[in-house]
Amino acid sequence: MKIKAVLFFCFCFVFFAFQLANEKPVFVPKNWPKPVYNFSKNPLNENTIELGRALFYEPQLSRNNIVSCASCHSQYTAFTHVDHALSHGIEDKIGRRNSPALMNLAWQQLFMWDGAVNHLDVQALAPIANPLEMDENISNVVKKLQHTKHYPKLFYKAFGDSIITGEHTLKALSQFMLTLVSHNSKYDSVMRKETVFTAQENSGYLLFKKNCGSCHTEPLFTNNEFKSNGLPIDTTLNDYGRYEITKNKKDSLKFKVPSLRNIEFSYPYMHDGRFKKLSDVLKHYTTGVMHNQSLSEELKTPIVLNANERVDIVAFLLTLTDRSFLFNPNFSYPKNLFLDSTKD
Amino acid sequence: MKKIAFILFFVFDTVLFVEAQNDSTISISFVFRYNDKIVDLSDSSFIANDSNHLQIDALRFYVSNICFLKNSTVLFQEKNSFHLIDASNKNSQTLFIKNNKASFDEVSFNLGIDSVTSVSGAMGGDLDPTKGMYWTWQSGYINFKLEGKSVNCPTRNNTFEFHLGGYLSPFNCLKTVFLKSTNPKNIVVVFDLNQFLSSVDLSTQNQIMSPNKQAVLLSEKAIKSFKIINP
Repeated sequence: MKIKAVLFFCFCFVFFAFQLANEKPVFVPKNWPKPVYNFSKNPLNENTIELGRALFYEPQLSRNNIVSCASCHSQYTAFTHVDHALSHGIEDKIGRRNSPALMNLAWQQLFMWDGAVNHLDVQALAPIANPLEMDENISNVVKKLQHTKHYPKLFYKAFGDSIITGEHTLKALSQFMLTLVSHNSKYDSVMRKETVFTAQENSGYLLFKKNCGSCHTEPLFTNNEFKSNGLPIDTTLNDYGRYEITKNKKDSLKFKVPSLRNIEFSYPYMHDGRFKKLSDVLKHYTTGVMHNQSLSEELKTPIVLNANERVDIVAFLLTLTDRSFLFNPNFSYPKNLFLDSTKD
Repeated sequence: MKKIAFILFFVFDTVLFVEAQNDSTISISFVFRYNDKIVDLSDSSFIANDSNHLQIDALRFYVSNICFLKNSTVLFQEKNSFHLIDASNKNSQTLFIKNNKASFDEVSFNLGIDSVTSVSGAMGGDLDPTKGMYWTWQSGYINFKLEGKSVNCPTRNNTFEFHLGGYLSPFNCLKTVFLKSTNPKNIVVVFDLNQFLSSVDLSTQNQIMSPNKQAVLLSEKAIKSFKIINP
């Protein structure tokens, strides 16, 4: 009994010391607000991030073992699904909305276009279970992962327990997603006074701050609120956004204000991907806004921008592209984990 | 290293010793009844040979924040008190609670999961989302799940499904059950399905699967269906 207890404590000590050595500090870029994610309940750790990365690219999360998170959230396009107005999932079934770009998630409280999800940890449950996306359930995912050769080992390295649980699966996914921080665009370099805008970009920046910045607030380029931006309703979808969650009429047609970082790569735009080009988006805000009862205060007086000014704003928006994020090898498909020799 | 292990071991041993001294464990057992029959879903669905051809396929709910009270004052509150009670899992139906303050006259618990816990991310144990009591399309726990069939349901295959939950106003479904108890050791709590189902009009209320007004109303009916058997 005593020997067992001593051994147990030795093990605990070594394990926690080992975990501590791998602990990764939370990275908050200069002049950014405090993250809303509670890291104390899920402290970042190299092994857990690596597990989360494997899970993010893991097709066994879907019913037919073909669709992974990365299928609709591809790194090179700011972790979203381009080219399709409505993203498609399992067996090419068409979803109801455009997949959102994933970045700077530690600064968001509510997820999805309608805020249906209240915490990053539980976000993945929605696409996993959606019959149009991955059509699987988390308890079956856990069973499938437990039956592989490599995942129990990865879970052991990450959590000190090779028995896989839903909690650990979701927390590992969160850890990887929390590392997806985009903060190295040209805009960021200008703010850090490492470079300067061109005259056109600067003109665009000033116009942006005046006309767009109250909702797409710097430095995250979103105020994380839900707004009705005057898009006429698409009667083939009848999507009322936030209202569907709160059942409050004031929330009708409100959708989450998305971040504009890496917007060059995250086309098409809006919750239903109705605009292919940034110039279409700007035309909407200047001449396309339909008045409805919940229309955002900021849009009640029309935004006036001439053609040149719209071009300048687009030039500024392109400075939000962060190539070091889009091509960061730490975020890409983890070949080392999926090689045949290490897998089964 | 040896020293640390020794100190840790000493502390651990002392804790065990103290706990053994003050061992006054209270058990709370949950029993599910329909009329005079016990509803046990361990092996198969429950079928009542009544005129409604009632069938129960699933019955499970969260019990949280268990308290013992005396004269309506809380004497004891269980820490990290989250229990999934499942009519198909015998092991889930009896809870053991260590409590030194034995003199109480009332037991209370929440039927479901509170709002703070509901927005705290992924959790383990009975709160693990693999337990089938977490909504996926919208965050939040299902507090209470009852599924079955009745000829009174004008639905496909006569099924009814009650997934009651929701933590946000105005559809907060978390309700507290208060039960007078004269037994200080072994408490038996009965969930009376007859009482619950007779308070529901199955011809109109048969599919509730999201936080809404109906879910709140049915949650209130559910807490009234708990009874305690006092000796």
